[in-house]
Amino acid sequence: MTALRRVEPAARVVWPPLALCALLVVTWALVDGFGDVVYKDTAVRLFLTLIIVLGLQIFSGNSGVLSFGHIAFMAIGAYMSALLTIPPDIKKFTYLSMPSWLGSWILPAKLSPLEAILAGAGVATLFALITAAPIVRLAGVEAGIGTLALLIIVYVFDVQTSAITRGTSTQIGVPQTTTFVSVLAWALIFIGVAFVFKQSRRGLRLRASRENVRAAKSVGVRVSVERAVAWVLSGFVVGVAGALYGHYFVTFGPDDFFFNQGFNIVLLTIVMLVVGGMTSVTGAVVGCYFVTVIYEAFRRWEVNGLGDVRPPSGTGNFVLAVILILTLVLRPNGITGGRELPWPGDWSLEPLRRLARKSGSGSGDSVAAESAK
Amino acid sequence: MNESTRRYATVSGGFVATVLLVVLVLSLIVGAGEGVQYTLDSLAYGSLFAVMALGLALLFNVMGLMNFAYGELIMAGAYVMFFTRSWGWLGMILMTVLVVTILSLLMELIAFRPVRNASPVVLLVTSFAVSYGIQQLAWTDVFGLAHRFDSTIGTGPQKGVEPYPWLTNQFDVGGVLISRLEIATWIVTAVLLVGLTLLLKKTTLGIQLRASSEDFRMAQLTGVRANWVISAAFGITGVLAAGVSILYILRTGAVAPDIGQGPLFVAFVGGVIGGLGSLGGAALGGFVLGAIINALSATLPITLKSHTQLFAFLVVIAILVLIPNGLVSIRGGAVKRLWRRVRRSPAPAEGAA
Repeated sequence: MTALRRVEPAARVVWPPLALCALLVVTWALVDGFGDVVYKDTAVRLFLTLIIVLGLQIFSGNSGVLSFGHIAFMAIGAYMSALLTIPPDIKKFTYLSMPSWLGSWILPAKLSPLEAILAGAGVATLFALITAAPIVRLAGVEAGIGTLALLIIVYVFDVQTSAITRGTSTQIGVPQTTTFVSVLAWALIFIGVAFVFKQSRRGLRLRASRENVRAAKSVGVRVSVERAVAWVLSGFVVGVAGALYGHYFVTFGPDDFFFNQGFNIVLLTIVMLVVGGMTSVTGAVVGCYFVTVIYEAFRRWEVNGLGDVRPPSGTGNFVLAVILILTLVLRPNGITGGRELPWPGDWSLEPLRRLARKSGSGSGDSVAAESAK
Repeated sequence: MNESTRRYATVSGGFVATVLLVVLVLSLIVGAGEGVQYTLDSLAYGSLFAVMALGLALLFNVMGLMNFAYGELIMAGAYVMFFTRSWGWLGMILMTVLVVTILSLLMELIAFRPVRNASPVVLLVTSFAVSYGIQQLAWTDVFGLAHRFDSTIGTGPQKGVEPYPWLTNQFDVGGVLISRLEIATWIVTAVLLVGLTLLLKKTTLGIQLRASSEDFRMAQLTGVRANWVISAAFGITGVLAAGVSILYILRTGAVAPDIGQGPLFVAFVGGVIGGLGSLGGAALGGFVLGAIINALSATLPITLKSHTQLFAFLVVIAILVLIPNGLVSIRGGAVKRLWRRVRRSPAPAEGAA
């Protein structure tokens, strides 16, 4: 008992990430053991979006600055990684008009999957580094528009610069190297990264600036530097997600990384983060699972029907919207209230009782005060 | 002359000056011969976005909401027009205004009222959810409206409101081609803008709205009822959206569940460039951006056109970083600061307003 007490402080620190990782591993084991192809596909999508949401959490969750632009990193990661792995024989015919200063090293390139992912994410990180200077100076609605402008710039580039991106045509010959296990491994790594960053000195300073920019500045926090660090780190994370995405879906085009009608990845990743509770990594994971499960359950229902009832296709998306509004009304700070998974010894029914009495509105980390400014 | 009227006077002064400037620049861009033609067309197009940006800015000021569901009001208006296209133009217009306004009010009642006190981020995400939900309703056609209204064009998402020939036919006025629709656009947008200005300046509701947009809590303390003011703001934006919707759809003709998004982005970005903090600034920004986009898409050669948007949005980022308050704003945007410097009047303390 005393030994247990001695390790408790350390255990408390590593408990939330370990529990979340365990959740992911259990999901993987269940789906890999019992699920069919459709379930595996859903689970891979879940882990891919989870990596994006974790990237968003690193930046938006800790800084309180909302970003629509992270999907741009995803696009860059996917395109770069694909360009470096498509067999040179195919590239010779699909990229006829690539400028020679690029073609001389891209056309003969044939990297291994891991190298390609790192290269793709590396270029995304570079892009994050370049764009950090203007973006970190923005907050609130201006930041939303600035990052949205970034997303549109990358999208227009993808569509219009067909010599490098094949324009609106999809890619041909991208090797399918992303597996269920590799997505899981990256997701586990990034849960750890997000936690370490949140707990680190830089993460703490950034969170301080989220709660009150002026107070943080007054104690010597260089807000723009801290934001830039988070921006670049999240650029890397989302870049990896993009590369993995490219090597899983193989045929992708610019519309995969923009507002589209079916699975709107720009909005849904933000929605996942906010619904889960943006200030905690637990929130990112919970929101991702919550939205995916509802979305998939309804999609499955539309396709297969249940008994004789089969809702018209698209109902799922509508119900998803309704459930999101309900969640935001009942839990404005997200399902987790923005807090991490509590230590099992601290579990109590008090929050449930409070919810039943309908008087509590979540007293955890609050983004409200900061983002209003 | 008290502080607030002076502020509005300055804004409208800046507005007129900038409109003239834009007209001048546009005429120079496209050369003397075709200049007038493009300029008139751009003016009509730009004023549509001025009205849209105004609606966005009103909600933003009153309750801190950046309403992404605004595009869906335009879309809903388009569908109402499609379903009522056989009722004659008056019935169509009345029905559109009615339905869009009611939809706007319902939106507030069901979705935004419960989260009113949440953080702006939650408000933003709520507006996403509303926009997403309404758009999905349109895609799936859950209520089977297309059958009920005997859609003859087909059940696909893309539908069309047939243009009225008497409205879109162009006639020659001194070498310049003008359609009745263009004239109607100028008149309607002018009426909406002037009407809103009068409403804001002369009525009790307008004073309450302006007070709430400056300091919502303080306004509540002095007896302004929050529910009433916010509902009114949503109602007004609903009417504005209906106006934009009618003019926009008569212009383009196409009706689809995602038509709201394009104009929304233009108005959104234009509003920010102009300064969402002030109504006049937002309207001006929407106007300028809409007019410039129209002029560029008509005049740029194809080779340059493909990357126009890319450079346009680079400029947007630059403006956001360098002139964070927008070109016109109550706390001293770029135009106002310039104006002040010209008149050599001392600048008030930052943030005093």
